[in-house]
Amino acid sequence: MKLKSYILVVALALMSTACNEQFLDINTNPNSLPTASPNYVFTNALRQSASNMLGPNELASYWSGQWTQSNGYILSTTIFTYTFTNGDFNYWDGYYDNLQDYQFVIDNADAQGQKFLKGPAKVMKALLFQQLVDMYGNLPYTDALKGVSSLAPKFDEQQSVYDNLIKLLDEAIVDLKANAFASAFAGSDIVFAGSNTKWIRFANSVKLRILMRQARVAAKEATIKSEINKIVTEGSGFITGEDVGIGSTSFWQPADGQMNPIYENWGYSAAGAKKALNNYPRLTKYLIDGLKTSADTLRLKRIAYAIGGEGATAGVSTRAEVAANYVGVPFGASSGYLPTTVSAPGPSIIAKGAFNRPYIIMTAAEIQLNLAEAKERFGTGVSLTGTAQSYFEEGLVQSFRALGAATTGAAAFKGSKVENYDYVASSNKLTAIAFQKWLASCNFTGLEAWAEYRKTGVPATPQSLGVPDAKRPVRLFYPNSEGGSNSANVNAQGTVDVFATKIFWDID
Amino acid sequence: MKQRFTLLAAVAMLFCGLTLFAQDRTITGKVTADDGSVLPGVNITLRGSNRGTNTTAEGTYQIAAPNNAVLVFSFIGFKSQEVAVGAQSIVNVKLVADASQLQEVVVTAQGIRKSQREINYSYAKVANEDITLGRAPRLAQALAGKVTGLAVYNVNNSVDPSVKVVLRGYRSLTGNNEALVVVDGMQTTSTVLALINPNDIESVTVLKGGQAATLYGSAGINGAIVITTKKGAKGKLKVNYSNSTNFEEISFLPQFQDKYGSGSHYAASFGSAGYLTNYQDRLKQNWRPYENQQYGDAFDGSMRIQGRVLEDGSKLEIPYSAINNVRRKTFDRGVSMNNQINFEGGDETTTFRLALENQKIAGIVPKDKSDRTGIRFAASKEYKRLTASFTANYTQAKYDRTSSDFYNDVLNQPANLPLYDLRDWQNNKFANPNGYYNDYYNNPYFNKDINRNNYKDANISSNIALEFRATDWLRLVNRLGVMNNSRTGKNYTSKFLYSDWAKTKAFVPAPWGIDDVDGTGIYRAISDILGGVSDYSSTENVINNEFQAHVNKDFGNFKNNLILGGSLYQRYTKAIAVSSSSIVVPDVYNVSNRQGILGGGEGNTMERRFGYYADVTSNYKNWLILNASGRYDATSRFYKPARNKNYWSYFYYGAGLSFIPTDAFPGLKSNVLNYAKVRMNYNKNANDNIPLYGLDLTYPNGSGFPFGNTVGLTVGNTLPDANLKPEIVYSGEIGAELQMFNNRVNFEFSAYTQNSKGQVITVRVPNTTGFSNLLINVGETKNWGYEGEFKYLIARGTKLNWDFSIRYSYNDNKVIDLYPGINEFQYGGFTYATTNVIKGERFPMLKTNGYTYAPDGSGYVLINPTTGYPILNTSLVNRGGTLPRHIAGLGSKVSYGNLTFNFNFEYRGGNVMFSDLGRQMTFTGAGKWTENRDPQMVPNSATLNADGKTVTPNTSINVRESEYGYWVDNYRLISENFVTPGWFIKLRDINLAYTLPTSLLERTKIFSRAEIAFFGRNLFTIVDKKNYYTDPEFSNVATNSFTGTISSVTAPSGSNNVGINTTGQTPPVRQYGVSLNLTF
Repeated sequence: MKLKSYILVVALALMSTACNEQFLDINTNPNSLPTASPNYVFTNALRQSASNMLGPNELASYWSGQWTQSNGYILSTTIFTYTFTNGDFNYWDGYYDNLQDYQFVIDNADAQGQKFLKGPAKVMKALLFQQLVDMYGNLPYTDALKGVSSLAPKFDEQQSVYDNLIKLLDEAIVDLKANAFASAFAGSDIVFAGSNTKWIRFANSVKLRILMRQARVAAKEATIKSEINKIVTEGSGFITGEDVGIGSTSFWQPADGQMNPIYENWGYSAAGAKKALNNYPRLTKYLIDGLKTSADTLRLKRIAYAIGGEGATAGVSTRAEVAANYVGVPFGASSGYLPTTVSAPGPSIIAKGAFNRPYIIMTAAEIQLNLAEAKERFGTGVSLTGTAQSYFEEGLVQSFRALGAATTGAAAFKGSKVENYDYVASSNKLTAIAFQKWLASCNFTGLEAWAEYRKTGVPATPQSLGVPDAKRPVRLFYPNSEGGSNSANVNAQGTVDVFATKIFWDID
Repeated sequence: MKQRFTLLAAVAMLFCGLTLFAQDRTITGKVTADDGSVLPGVNITLRGSNRGTNTTAEGTYQIAAPNNAVLVFSFIGFKSQEVAVGAQSIVNVKLVADASQLQEVVVTAQGIRKSQREINYSYAKVANEDITLGRAPRLAQALAGKVTGLAVYNVNNSVDPSVKVVLRGYRSLTGNNEALVVVDGMQTTSTVLALINPNDIESVTVLKGGQAATLYGSAGINGAIVITTKKGAKGKLKVNYSNSTNFEEISFLPQFQDKYGSGSHYAASFGSAGYLTNYQDRLKQNWRPYENQQYGDAFDGSMRIQGRVLEDGSKLEIPYSAINNVRRKTFDRGVSMNNQINFEGGDETTTFRLALENQKIAGIVPKDKSDRTGIRFAASKEYKRLTASFTANYTQAKYDRTSSDFYNDVLNQPANLPLYDLRDWQNNKFANPNGYYNDYYNNPYFNKDINRNNYKDANISSNIALEFRATDWLRLVNRLGVMNNSRTGKNYTSKFLYSDWAKTKAFVPAPWGIDDVDGTGIYRAISDILGGVSDYSSTENVINNEFQAHVNKDFGNFKNNLILGGSLYQRYTKAIAVSSSSIVVPDVYNVSNRQGILGGGEGNTMERRFGYYADVTSNYKNWLILNASGRYDATSRFYKPARNKNYWSYFYYGAGLSFIPTDAFPGLKSNVLNYAKVRMNYNKNANDNIPLYGLDLTYPNGSGFPFGNTVGLTVGNTLPDANLKPEIVYSGEIGAELQMFNNRVNFEFSAYTQNSKGQVITVRVPNTTGFSNLLINVGETKNWGYEGEFKYLIARGTKLNWDFSIRYSYNDNKVIDLYPGINEFQYGGFTYATTNVIKGERFPMLKTNGYTYAPDGSGYVLINPTTGYPILNTSLVNRGGTLPRHIAGLGSKVSYGNLTFNFNFEYRGGNVMFSDLGRQMTFTGAGKWTENRDPQMVPNSATLNADGKTVTPNTSINVRESEYGYWVDNYRLISENFVTPGWFIKLRDINLAYTLPTSLLERTKIFSRAEIAFFGRNLFTIVDKKNYYTDPEFSNVATNSFTGTISSVTAPSGSNNVGINTTGQTPPVRQYGVSLNLTF
């Protein structure tokens, strides 16, 4: 009896005492990968960039006077009366998170035998930093994305960030020329499917954007000219005849969370139900009336749907597509404009079933119009081969094409005497270029529209109805997340007045 | 038939009873205490009768009694004594002081039984009768208010309520702060609190501090709730049946306005053409029959259309006047029914107990219900030196709940709509989504019907314990427990396609509407509801073995006890889910009935711990007791083969002393002071508070990936520090226990402090580093408090017994240090209201935006001189801590004869909360505080003068649009308006029970005990007068929301984000009912 009892107790007790180190060796994460190949990270980074740009592009579409909201929703006071705080519009965190993925690709591409990814990742990095500067001014660049080795990154002067981006793009082009894309990995490049040539042209186009954004900073004129001339000398040229977009038709999938972010946000669910937010954005009265006045009806019908929205046929309005049926909302109106009684963003961005269009990050029109501006401002100071007029007119053609309007419509404006459309007849060429840039970015690249608006003041869009004075936001606050965790460096930037602390290229 | 006869006989015999005491004679005597002093006021009764008397001031008595009488002598503070009179006529009695409370045996950490004297820390023992008092269906709620230092947070109140149990406040910044739950010596999870039948519990010992739980290792750092279940008693078979029926109804709804109907901002805006200067005219223009907002004109009793014309031409025309209490009527009265039966008995060497329980609940949200059935079996057998015991428990529960935000949906309907008549959306065309009036929010009854979460839990646990008494000084104990919890569930949304009429043609007819303004088609109908289904299952396996050797050896006056132990713990979880975001054939909820891509995922975890410990107690003459313990632990959470051993294994220790001066110096003892004990302890504990697999930087799939065949990975956002190791908690406690006035008064006091250093926390680092979080050992917090409990035995007699007790605890905490350069980080919340950890402050700390105040400190609220609107100060300002500092309880129990009455109040206060509900109700215009729509000035307002320093009080500037813009676009956005003190007083439970007299029951020969009780829980709640919004107890934003997926077997825990409440909770309820308890 006694023996049996001992056996029983001892057998059980052994369980508690027979433990060793090996017993604990189970601490390997079974749910998530411990390493990653850069090509997979690169693909996700690109798609994440598309998602990240949706928010700022939307906000900028409002603040550039192209879009406003319908009154089916209570008016967003943060957007339309500018009562926002450092807790609103935090695009910063998402952008830096995304940049970390590109940085990972840049840092690990060599070791993993994927050198060809370095160049494209650097181009994207430059593009994102350009957008960040345009929203926030000074920011961490040289000290950023270093993990534990710099836990409170110092801020760089915005002008120097811009200068560094030009250098980064130069490096990217060197990398792109040296490392051909391995064809097996072309699928991971959901922008250009592994075309080094196009990446180089895109790098040049981003460079052009960065240079021309500073065009009104007198001190930079010499640099801008010489940099443009360097691009011309380099010879690869710019992206022409097509827009740069993330995700090809074969990339986006007909599933929730896998569709073009615009389509997913304001369009339809994967199963085809209209999204509630389809009723949110509406075109401004200023934009619609302007298009009508200029008889730009071809683009009007692509930029907006007639009242009543998209009908049973994909991409076609419910009501007749005649000018009278296009109604805009006064910017910031808080009452009287129910969604079904005004015009929604049109078939150029939302058409039922078109879930797989690329998410556009740069339009061909913008590039042509930047070239037109360069030539107009600097004349023979830049060695570009075309004339300001030829670039301007090509810009118009590309805008028609991108929107899905017949390009013959663009040509028809030649000699039409319509102000800001007919280059020759326009009273101020730079205003005409800026105006067309603003129009060409509508529905696609709102951030560009807002940046160019701040740079040039063109066009003179009306103030929001709910705002008693003339103040408009000229930038965003540093987000409270950065302020809370990197306070010394954020405070070193001084007090940010979103109505007065301008970005360096916004000189008036 | 036989039974009925017996009952009849019993009743008949009751009437005959009076004749039984015919042969009386007089007995006299004197009652003294054991020290010889006389005892006045001693209760003397004749057993089995109502006859009784008291001793005089000289301690003498006189009573008439029959020959065979037994006298019962009872007096507070003394043991009751029974004396058989026999042939005596003088009966003198010496009563012995009752020190039973002092000898009480308490089950402490690791199942070690200690006498009350030996315990050098604060604990609370809650007996079964206190747990089952209010018939709370769940243990956690039953403990609320009954233990000092214990806070039970009712996170929400659905048919599957979730709770958080916190002892002595928060000490960990981002880790778990919830107490460990131990059942019969086995470490389990808080899931048990929802599953265990309170009636199966013998007692609960609450070990409050980390020091109390040194022996549980890291798991016990937040204190422990040690549950001992009933094991059955030796003796003949006893059968107990009980039934309780419980009703619940809403006890607290926000305050509503009942003056204005549907409407929003439709009148032309200020500054635009057609702006009307008279607010009454604007109000009229703002009225809309399809609005969810309630900013229309004042109710006037006229017949008006509500909504749009239906396809068949019909329209809902109802009086434009508020219906009394309409929101309350949309909820049901909940009913729950609990039936249980148990059997217990045994012989000389065996005991067993078998219990069966079923509980059905129908909630206050229509259609929500749950059903729980459990079986528990316990048995033990003694084989000379060996005792083997076994318990097994199996519980099955199923839940059917809506995942829609029913509460919020109801708040979006105006007071004139008879919503409760619109339940039948299948048949009532005005209730159907195609005809429901509201353009923006669907019928709440429709939403709750089509959005359901159904899940089933199955929980099995069992443990065997062997105790071997090898010699009189050595005892070996081993307990092995296993547990499996599983949950399978299905969440679905039904399919509903709107009619074309609803989508594009429904209109508001004249004279109420105009097509161009109101449009055609119901706004919400643009999105068809395509349905969706998610199916999941998850499982949790725990195995836990505890081995102990107890050695007893006395050296002279020193009684010594040594315990050596070994502990092993393993926990494994697995969860898988598949989902589809559409349904093809309506009402078939299977993921294969879909179009598009199948979604899903899996998660697995495994953790292990082992440890060895020693605990030595040396007792000198039972008045000086020293205890010391040490433990070595190793944990897989910090283990990697290449890591330094110090990072994953660690030693910690504690020591404590208790001293009983009344025994050490007997001269101290008097009638005033009967007993005194002082105690103190100091401990160093370690805590392996790191998220599972927290040592690795991972590269998870990017959002939405894979896209077809395209793979995308992202760099994880949390960067782990290379030198992560467990955090260290130092704690100290002192306390005293006193018994006074002939043991009538009990007083207990404790003061404690805990210092937690090198916490493993996820520090928010700037995203500009490329990461959003860094997991690192930093930060230091301090947590301290005082607890006091006062018990007064007002009367103790054969008939009247009356106890009264008051408990109070104070707890506070402070963030001593965070990461260098980081002074605060956020738990969560909204952009306008957040809960935070801030260096030098209590945590969590609520911050919100607010008014801009006059710079001269005069307290005026600054307004815009043009619009009259208050100027929003966008920076977030500290509003106060969200954890209650003060918790107090007050309870009393009175029994008179067979009637027992008791109640418990709880007070919690010293905290603030933010009600997002208030903000939401300002938006909808349903809140009472928005009732004033007349031209008005912002109270206590002023305009800033040109010097930028001084102000001019506002006496003339009205807000521009008092009927809408002021409330929705201004007042609503100032979060300070919705911050209120978080105190409350609740009548936690109240109970009136009647036990049938034993004399009656004995004659039935069937029942040995029968009791009927009426009970109530949370019958009333008092809150701050500024709190229009909700019961402050319901204040947890992170885990309260039951919308979305419930796919974890463990109850929501781990989130420290308390202090912000939303609509995502079922409203607070009061419960009352009746229970019947029969023992055969």
